[in-house]
Amino acid sequence: MKRKVSGKVIASALTTTLLVTALTGCTFGFASDPDDPNEVAKEVPIDTSVDSFQYDSSLAGTSITLLNSKAEIQVALEKMSAAYEEKSGVHVEVMPVTDGDSPYTKVVSLYNSGNPPTLAILDTTDVIALAEEKAADLSGEPWTAQAEEYLTEVNGKVYCFPLCIEGRGIIYNKAVIENALGRAFDPASVRTQDEFVALLEELKAAGISRPVSMAKEDWSLGAHHLQYIYELYDGTTPGGQQKIEEIKAGTLDLESYGRLQEFLNMFDILKAYNVAQGDPLGADYDEMAIDLADGKTAFWFNGNWAWPNLAEAGAEETDEYGFLPYFMNNDETDFANSQIQASPSKQVMVDRIVASDNQQAAAKEFLNWIVFSEIGQQMLVRTCNVIPPFHNNPYEPADPLSADIYARVQSGGAFNASVIVPNDHWAVLGAAMQKYLADRSDRSELIRTIEDYWAQQN
Amino acid sequence: MKSKQKGKDFCMFGLPGMICFFAVVIVPFLYGVYLTLTDWDGVASTKNFIGFRNFVGVVKDSQFWSSLLLTFEYVIVVVLLVNVLAFAIAYLLTRGIKGQNFFRAGFFTPNLIGGIVLGYIWQFVFSRAFVSIGESTGWSLFGISWLSTPGKAFAALVLVTVWQLSGYMILIYVAGFMGLSEDVMEAASIDGASGWTQMTHIIMPLMMSSITICLFLTLSRAFMVYDVNLSLTAGGPYGTTEMAAMHVYEKAFTSRQFGVGQAEALILFIVVALISGLQVYFTKKQEVEA
Repeated sequence: MKRKVSGKVIASALTTTLLVTALTGCTFGFASDPDDPNEVAKEVPIDTSVDSFQYDSSLAGTSITLLNSKAEIQVALEKMSAAYEEKSGVHVEVMPVTDGDSPYTKVVSLYNSGNPPTLAILDTTDVIALAEEKAADLSGEPWTAQAEEYLTEVNGKVYCFPLCIEGRGIIYNKAVIENALGRAFDPASVRTQDEFVALLEELKAAGISRPVSMAKEDWSLGAHHLQYIYELYDGTTPGGQQKIEEIKAGTLDLESYGRLQEFLNMFDILKAYNVAQGDPLGADYDEMAIDLADGKTAFWFNGNWAWPNLAEAGAEETDEYGFLPYFMNNDETDFANSQIQASPSKQVMVDRIVASDNQQAAAKEFLNWIVFSEIGQQMLVRTCNVIPPFHNNPYEPADPLSADIYARVQSGGAFNASVIVPNDHWAVLGAAMQKYLADRSDRSELIRTIEDYWAQQN
Repeated sequence: MKSKQKGKDFCMFGLPGMICFFAVVIVPFLYGVYLTLTDWDGVASTKNFIGFRNFVGVVKDSQFWSSLLLTFEYVIVVVLLVNVLAFAIAYLLTRGIKGQNFFRAGFFTPNLIGGIVLGYIWQFVFSRAFVSIGESTGWSLFGISWLSTPGKAFAALVLVTVWQLSGYMILIYVAGFMGLSEDVMEAASIDGASGWTQMTHIIMPLMMSSITICLFLTLSRAFMVYDVNLSLTAGGPYGTTEMAAMHVYEKAFTSRQFGVGQAEALILFIVVALISGLQVYFTKKQEVEA
């Protein structure tokens, strides 16, 4: 009897533990997915009364597919394709890349199953990997003239359409800074690393003890932070690419490479004022948006893609958010201290292997429609809410982060450098950066890892 | 005449299954082996034969060997914990306690949650819930997220896997316990066998068939762990919890070294097949009939 009771007690205790732990997830709840394609955004009306685009009537009835790897614009793309179908008669089926699938893996498996999408929205490195093997040559397309500085060429040919510009830097919340300091804040007044540190100290004295958020994710550390060492060499893609070649060849000594040391100095500053300093690798991405919107922090190193997270955390489009550069040193004349990086991120390629001539023509017309039709222009900016890389697009993005980048692109406050690195760069060197962020490695170990990584790429 | 009938039966009942098995298991497997000998990158329209160069790449990939070593450590801990725990709980749940069916269902529930979802739920528990407990109680064990230090992240992976797998194994062990002959147990009691003697000399040998199945299932599942690894730690912090299956995927699709990744997958298969085969062979030898 005694044994029976003790058995019952143990079994009950184990089940209770199990149930409590199982229910913990439900009780606390999750922050909703920032990339949720079903999220209802504020609808901006599109004026369809004027449309001077010349449609090719012979394409009516053609059906094409579009693989979308930018989850947050899934619904917008569906609306866009419906608007295009209404005018042209071409049906565009928008297929999302499901969560957990990598866009490249998805497109490759579609190719291998003989059913590739006619159009695919991919990252630049993915398009370059597929370009000569699978993509149609878009060099002669009319839209190329509208985005000259944003074209990616592979052996002198254009294989992809730059869908949007994205930029990154240190996001600030102006209201939080002004409330803490009790005076007006002009972001342009911070021009050097020392001035930035002085501002951080001021905020600290005003009660925001750790005013910076920095993500622990390897894509942020490995791609967005570390790639400054290439891109900030002279702020151009060829310049950055040249540095990479030198590192690869072993002719550039990273220990004495100025931009790397400057980058690490700035990284150390961000680290020192990191709100999650006690456990930097436990920092939660969703919480960073809430912290910035609520004023627990004043800065967040990120890009304009963070807007949906901020909006979800309570930020309004009328709030004043913007970017500060990644201050590299104390030289006011250095472009790195006044400009932020803004380059095309997502690219669209057209399949030439399986797609019929008609389908390829329809796909090309769809791309031109986005650039030249009044409806396409509006929908790219207002429905998809992206920063257009095309000169002829007169519409401005509405959210403050994209608006800041748009204004900087127009006024010369942004540099366009987007280097092509191996696809595992962010993962391998992101891990090395995580180790450095958590103070579990020093500069020389980090530099050695970077050198070893590049040596293996030969 | 009889053999003709046999052939007809085979064509009707055996052949369709065999064709499916060949089509979805054997042919892709052989094709996969062939791919390890080529330079195919998953995209190119041509495949050039390059001999064993991909295997040389595997030998040079030190990260693969360290992830394989880590997988071994993980497998040993998981297999031991899952089986000891499941055996003990199954034993308790076949003692006729009140509500034992409810408890059986309760323990089985985690097994119904998919690995990815489970990983995300526990990620939240380790990084948010535990940290909140740490903040309010001051316990250093929960001071920082378990997922931000290599040792604790590994422990977290083990904990979640044990939590998930135990329920399934409990069911198998419960079935085993229920199949034990009452006569044998009663005879042992009459002969004066103590609880421990009964356990080691009667119950354990009679339970060997269940142990064989459970060890095989836990071994193969633990070796091939991917979903929980991906959603709970994603190999982090800084790649210290990247298990072999995840490394293979990363090699093939993130580093885009398709051939090397495929060769590593083949090596992992051979390791798992060999170890599981040996385990089944040796535990089967221990099985006895009542």
